[in-house]
Amino acid sequence: MLNVLMLGIGQCGNRILDAVNKESFGGSSKLSKYYSRQKFPSRVETLAINTAVNDLKELKFTSAKDRFHVPNLHGVGANRSIGKQGFWDNRDMIMEEIERRGDFDIAFVMTSASGGTGSSFTPLIIHELRERYKNITVIAVMVLPFREEGSIYLQNAAFSMRDIMEVESDGIILVDNQYLKRLSGDIKTAYDKINDMVAERILFLIESLDSEMLSVTDLGDFKTVMRGGLGMGTLGFYESDKKTTSLTSAIEGSIKPGGLLYPANVYEDAARAMIIIQGSRESLDVDEITKSVEKLSTKIGQVFKGIIIKKGKPKILSVFTLGQVPDLEMLYAQAAQAIQDEKGRKTRAKKQLDDAFAYIEDLEEIY
Amino acid sequence: MRLIYLVVLALLASPILLMPMAAAASDDDDEEDDETTSREFSFRAGEGVKIGDYRVELISVVSVMDGLIEVKVWRRASDFEDWRVMEDHRDANFDEGAERGGLTLTVIDIFDEETVRMRAEYRSDYGYPQKYVTQRAMAPKNLPKLAVQATVDKTDISAGDEVKVTITVTNTGNDTARDIVVQDSPPLPQFRYLAGYPPKIKNQLQPGESDLAVYSMVAVTVGDVNMPVTVARYADSKSTIYSASSPSISIEIKPKRMPNLVLKVDPPGPIKHGGEGTINVTVENKGDASAYRVEVSAEVKSDGNGLEPVKGNLDKSFFEIPPGESEMYSATIKGSRSGSYAINLVASYQGDGEMMQKETGFEVAVLEREHKYLYYLLIVPVLILGFWLFRRYKEYKY
Ligand SMILES: Nc1nc2c(ncn2[C@@H]2O[C@H](COP(=O)(O)OP(=O)(O)OP(=O)(O)O)[C@@H](O)[C@H]2O)c(=O)[nH]1
Ligand SMILES: [Mg+2]
Repeated sequence: MLNVLMLGIGQCGNRILDAVNKESFGGSSKLSKYYSRQKFPSRVETLAINTAVNDLKELKFTSAKDRFHVPNLHGVGANRSIGKQGFWDNRDMIMEEIERRGDFDIAFVMTSASGGTGSSFTPLIIHELRERYKNITVIAVMVLPFREEGSIYLQNAAFSMRDIMEVESDGIILVDNQYLKRLSGDIKTAYDKINDMVAERILFLIESLDSEMLSVTDLGDFKTVMRGGLGMGTLGFYESDKKTTSLTSAIEGSIKPGGLLYPANVYEDAARAMIIIQGSRESLDVDEITKSVEKLSTKIGQVFKGIIIKKGKPKILSVFTLGQVPDLEMLYAQAAQAIQDEKGRKTRAKKQLDDAFAYIEDLEEIY
Repeated sequence: MRLIYLVVLALLASPILLMPMAAAASDDDDEEDDETTSREFSFRAGEGVKIGDYRVELISVVSVMDGLIEVKVWRRASDFEDWRVMEDHRDANFDEGAERGGLTLTVIDIFDEETVRMRAEYRSDYGYPQKYVTQRAMAPKNLPKLAVQATVDKTDISAGDEVKVTITVTNTGNDTARDIVVQDSPPLPQFRYLAGYPPKIKNQLQPGESDLAVYSMVAVTVGDVNMPVTVARYADSKSTIYSASSPSISIEIKPKRMPNLVLKVDPPGPIKHGGEGTINVTVENKGDASAYRVEVSAEVKSDGNGLEPVKGNLDKSFFEIPPGESEMYSATIKGSRSGSYAINLVASYQGDGEMMQKETGFEVAVLEREHKYLYYLLIVPVLILGFWLFRRYKEYKY
């Protein structure tokens, strides 16, 4: 059985973690925590970390002991420097809180790339995890901002992504708010929907790494997939609403743009992939699966396949890493532009102020 | 009465004493007058004898023992009338005696209260004495006559009833009834005599007078009784003995009157555990006599601890319940333990000195306790659930 650590850092990370916990209760109802039990496929420990206590209070399905407030901070106001400082000041306490939960084989660290707390803590925590847990696989789940959210968010996303790459995580799963925004009208429901999607997929992923499968995929396979390409990728998902849907079209559905958390052309950009098919024994035709996966392999390269026998409608999860990320590049460009603009505005403002001060340069106050 | 006779006797004595002198004197005239004759005759009271123009009537025999009779002598078409009490064997001159054209009478024998033998001496030309019946004799005789009546004070008689018998004796005659003795039939076995028996009536009753005697008795045996006649024996002034009797009465003695109490109970329906129920009891006297000292008592047969009295009592007493009447009362009880309780009501009472008993049974059911703790048991899961929810709430409250 896998020991899984799930960390949600910053408001966005906390809320996705809460969605994971909610999903583990069976999902649907708000009151499920009162009558249901959390069911995880593996031993899963969840911990929400934040500098803002209000963000932690807002959570519903994460038990109180699984919420950690970094003392003496009231959010970092999207300032990653303050965030980093806050982590360093409280590092031991934070890490102790994690280490209390025992040994782990894999850790998912979930955060927004653009906020202050999550984006600054995550690279540092990943580093610390690497230091403290010898054989741990660390996956960062990074949520990219809406592009119109402002220059600081863009800038933070750009820098935090670079930080993450530098600390050598075992892989980054991208979630793009901008891309997923289309799923719902208002921001609040869009967030909830996105969080639920992420939670469902990650739990499915964990299950696929830790269950008796017909065709085995394991943590090693997953690591191999995540280390492919740029070391970052995303998750695709397809759930058949009809039993009649053919497995081939279901597998294809899981890698179509509509099912992805981050916009990508899997056939063009994917480096490695893993396809996990879950369904009842009679609905799963191994030959058909093998055929369609082989077909995929000819385009992508390496494709692992896993089959989970479980009653219910067929579900398919695709995990893949990308060899190229044009969208991210665009984000960096936007970020750079934003930084330039910010710089320009600041210089102009500084100049204006200096000019203004120039008027009184040689003067003294007279009373 | 007797005094009168003595006076009359004294008056009579003087002429008798003077008679020898008068006779001596009249002896001188004998030669010039007709000679006398004497004749004997018997006659009864109320009868008269004609001798010439003289009439001799026997009024009565005053006393047979003393040899006294009363006679009336009168002469037709003249004022002469002489009432006299005569002593037997002594001559009595009437209208100056036979020597002087009158009568000389002598009582020879008195046979009884009615009949007398007499000798009359008179002038021989008066002829033979001739008998006739006097006016008086044709008049009714003075005799006492008693009427006897026996009456009972009620007609509807049951065994054990007291009956008063009134014996009334009335003298309906015109002479005093003497030596009256009433003889009631000897005591009848059908009755027990209480007081006044045997009945006693005055010794004498004047004409028109009446007397009564009352005695009471208790009817003992059931059946028809023919009360024999009551006889009164009495005598008239001449000690002649008569008797009179009452018409007989027949009495039907019905069976004894008895009270008959009937207990009616209106028990409550099943009582809830801890609830109350009212028992209504009616004691009705369906008999024909009062029931006295009625004591109703209740006895719970089964283990009675499960019933508690709340108001009123099933035990009750009444001094008297007259026939046809009823008494009602009620008692409220509380069922403190479930079960079926058999209750026996016993009414003991007195009717005519006899103790009687009636009883009736009924059941009161007390239902099973409504197990309230079952509801409390329900609370347990609710509490557990509440506790669970609260724990969950705490667990997820940050
Ligand atoms: N998908 C998703 N994105 C979110 C959610 N909440 C916030 N974000 C995104 O996260 C970014 C903001 O980062 P937060 O996580 O709020 O910031 P933080 O890590 O809490 O840092 P500070 O608030 O600055 O201390 C924005 O781009 C939001 O669009 C969420 O619930 N779901
Ligand atoms: Mg925040």
